[in-house]
Amino acid sequence: MSVTVEAGEKSVTKEEKLTTNSPWSLWTRQTLAIMRLELMKNFLTSRAILLYLLAGLPLALLAVLAIFPPPSHEFQNFGELSLVYAVVYGGLILRTLVFFGCAWLFMNLFRGEVVDRSLHYYFLAPVRREVLVVGKYLAGLVTTITLFCISTLGSMMLLYFPRFPSESTQYFFGGPGMSQALVYLGITVLACVGYGAVFLIVGLFFRNPIIPALLIYGWEWLNFLLPPLLKKASVIHYLHSLAPVPVSEGPFAVLAEPTPAWVSVPSLVIFTLLVIALAGLHIRRMEISYAGD
Amino acid sequence: MAVFENAYKGYEGGLTPQWSRFLVLPRYSLRDVFKSKLFTALFCLCFIYPLVAAILVYLHHNANAIQLLQINVRELLPINASFFLYFVQFQGWCAFLLTVIVAPPLVSRDLANNALPLYLYRPFSRAEYVLGKMSVIVVLLSLITWVPGVLLFFLQAYLEGAGWLWRNLWMVGAIFTGSIIWIVLLALLALAISALVKWRVVASGALLGLFFVPSALGGIINGLFQTRIGHLISPGALITNIWSGLFGRFAREADRYTTNSIPGRGFVEVVLLEPPLWACWLMVALVCAFCLWLLARKVRAYEVVK
Repeated sequence: MSVTVEAGEKSVTKEEKLTTNSPWSLWTRQTLAIMRLELMKNFLTSRAILLYLLAGLPLALLAVLAIFPPPSHEFQNFGELSLVYAVVYGGLILRTLVFFGCAWLFMNLFRGEVVDRSLHYYFLAPVRREVLVVGKYLAGLVTTITLFCISTLGSMMLLYFPRFPSESTQYFFGGPGMSQALVYLGITVLACVGYGAVFLIVGLFFRNPIIPALLIYGWEWLNFLLPPLLKKASVIHYLHSLAPVPVSEGPFAVLAEPTPAWVSVPSLVIFTLLVIALAGLHIRRMEISYAGD
Repeated sequence: MAVFENAYKGYEGGLTPQWSRFLVLPRYSLRDVFKSKLFTALFCLCFIYPLVAAILVYLHHNANAIQLLQINVRELLPINASFFLYFVQFQGWCAFLLTVIVAPPLVSRDLANNALPLYLYRPFSRAEYVLGKMSVIVVLLSLITWVPGVLLFFLQAYLEGAGWLWRNLWMVGAIFTGSIIWIVLLALLALAISALVKWRVVASGALLGLFFVPSALGGIINGLFQTRIGHLISPGALITNIWSGLFGRFAREADRYTTNSIPGRGFVEVVLLEPPLWACWLMVALVCAFCLWLLARKVRAYEVVK
């Protein structure tokens, strides 16, 4: 008996020493453990069905387009396909699917736990709440980036390869196609990072996050009408600035200089870090109230 | 355990008539709904446009005001079918906003907390339950859509005279039918989604997504295939076509242009046609039928969870 107690005490002491000496390694392990749990929830629960549907929409659309190509000039001319893809990517994937996918997933990171009445399990575990925020955010990021990058790349392949296989091979493996694809993937990743941060904070601060989400959607959608200064207070402006093929935003659009990549990318990353820090501060004082949800 | 207390008796009071039992639900739900300050504020905001429209109608008939403002309001904004069509459209979108806020908790709370048996063990059918919950939305949305619309119509008729009233009486039908179709579609969609996902916030999000994602997809289909058939999957475009049809403003030809973008065909004239009105009505009917089927499956006193 005494041996067991001694062994127990020894192990506690060792754990404490580990924690006090290098909290970062403990936090990293805890973050990874939370991520593992959350990834299973994000990919395997019924809530993921909507994400799969959203990510699959452009693939289904472009598969139909590959089988029944329209007779218009844009689809017969290989050179025009980059513009067609830019329209599909900007109008459908980025503005709508990534936006709603991120809204769905990141707002539910904490609201979903409150609705399921399971947040207290996390709060009762010996984990710093900031670690919980980071773990959940990273898990959401991995999920959205995986799904929407597959969607981005898959729809690009479906647009190019079925009609022009040889030109497409040349374009992607010996021309500018690969770099364009990488830029689109980068924009998708940054969109998930930016929108993820926005909706994480919305889900934490608002009991009913739908109205803020609607306002954000309206703000992002009307971005082309905003004066240049206000354009900078949106995620879509920075993402559009990075687009390899610029698309006209219509006759009523207010023109503004695109923000260079060396400003856009760090701005989004700094914004995200600030938002996560804010979420960390907020969650430290958070008290659970399941009533009313 | 033996029961020695013999004071328990069956209820001998008056029963609510069978036909009006569903009205018990809105009586309590409406009280709850107006406890939310946000909802009350939004509900009040929804009356701003009817008020502005009423002022415009009044200005049309007030010679002093027209003289004072030194503008010809009659030419600037004629009070005709387009005026009422725009009214129905504007109020219709306000109704959508209200539905997103008010509708999801109606059913989802009962299902999430397993409260349905509490309703259904009473002499109260599943159909009455759905009807009762729907009537909350129908009452609220009616108050901001067809009720002010019809009042506005009669204000114009009162100021303009009996001749105008008889010539344009069909517009009352258009205002009422257009609004009620939209209200029923919104109510069924909202209740079906709430019953399906059971979580208030998630249901609100899904309702928003259901309107915006198909609209974006429909827009891209229209752009890629040079058609307007994508409007069939966009609830907003469907109801806009139906409203336009009811007010006699529907035109199948949406756009016409000349292009040389089809190889080997030279310059050709492309005419973009909206889906026919019957197709729009059919789509709305199919969506409503699907929602009813979903509600019939999900609204049960018990469910088997595997």
